[in-house]
Amino acid sequence: MTTRRGLIITDQQLESCDQLLWELKGLLNCTFLGLISTAGQPITSASSDYHPETFSLASLTASAFAATRQLATILDEREFTLLFHEGDAVNLHVAQVNDQVLLLITFGRDVPIGQVRLYTQRSIAVLQRILADHSGDDQQLIVDDAYEMSMEREMDQVFRDNGSE
Amino acid sequence: MPLVNFAAREINYKIVYYGCGLCGKTTNIQYIHRKINPDVRGKLVSIATEEERTLYFDFLPLTLGTVRGMKTRFHLYTVPGQSYYNASRRLVLQGCDGVVFVADSQITRLDENVESYLNLWDNLIAQGDDLSRLGFVVQMNKRDLVDVFSLGDLGDLLNHTGSPVLPAAAINGIGVFETLKAVCKQVIAKTS
Repeated sequence: MTTRRGLIITDQQLESCDQLLWELKGLLNCTFLGLISTAGQPITSASSDYHPETFSLASLTASAFAATRQLATILDEREFTLLFHEGDAVNLHVAQVNDQVLLLITFGRDVPIGQVRLYTQRSIAVLQRILADHSGDDQQLIVDDAYEMSMEREMDQVFRDNGSE
Repeated sequence: MPLVNFAAREINYKIVYYGCGLCGKTTNIQYIHRKINPDVRGKLVSIATEEERTLYFDFLPLTLGTVRGMKTRFHLYTVPGQSYYNASRRLVLQGCDGVVFVADSQITRLDENVESYLNLWDNLIAQGDDLSRLGFVVQMNKRDLVDVFSLGDLGDLLNHTGSPVLPAAAINGIGVFETLKAVCKQVIAKTS
């Protein structure tokens, strides 16, 4: 059976990423920072009192970023490596960490965009080093026959019509 | 490519419902959203035109219980069915672990089904993937209508990987959860 490689985040990697995100949050005084996969799945976040719906946020952000990259291709640009949306109260900044991970930041109008870009660039270099460490990838063995059987039982229970509208 | 987050004890899989325009992809997702235990599902996000045709995608996250210490999530997406939106379809396919090909069983929709199936192969190959490496099931939808192809005939055209074929009438919920279960099992099997 063919095994496809995915994105694997180890305990050590997540701890290092979280530490960096919280440091960055302190430096920028921003409302929310998150790492998401380019496939649209949330990885981790740093936020104190602002909690957006992270699944939708991750899915929409990854899609918007992918569309932006495609736009670059159409415009014969090598790539657009960041995405920025300016709102009345909240701004959204998205930058690519590597080919599987994006960094998204929401911040208020009181935070200068130049500062966000500068610190983001520096943080990305560190995040790239953290995520480049694949020493814990053997933990992927968790998806084995026993997991498969247990998941089948769980799905039989959950994936059914519960009758309510 | 599942996202395995050991620190958060989570495994995330991405599943895409693919098929021609008006074949019932969004109907599947909407039915799941309506009928599944609300504690399991997240918010249904739809990026659609004013005529409620999918412009970019529909998105529904499902979170299952903890199995062997890991929480498993399935992120369900649909693609826009109209061929005009192929660029968007490609983007939604990125990083997917499984595909449900929703076929419209009506005889009059044969060309659209075949075109969409070939387009799925093209788009996967363009991103260096193919259906034999993914979880894949074919849902023969609209079995409640008259003038439909037999499952065998349609399967010959739309299933070259020997994958599970499930009859459905998604509008009435028939075959919707069976399809979801089948593709999730396939996805897990392909990564174990």
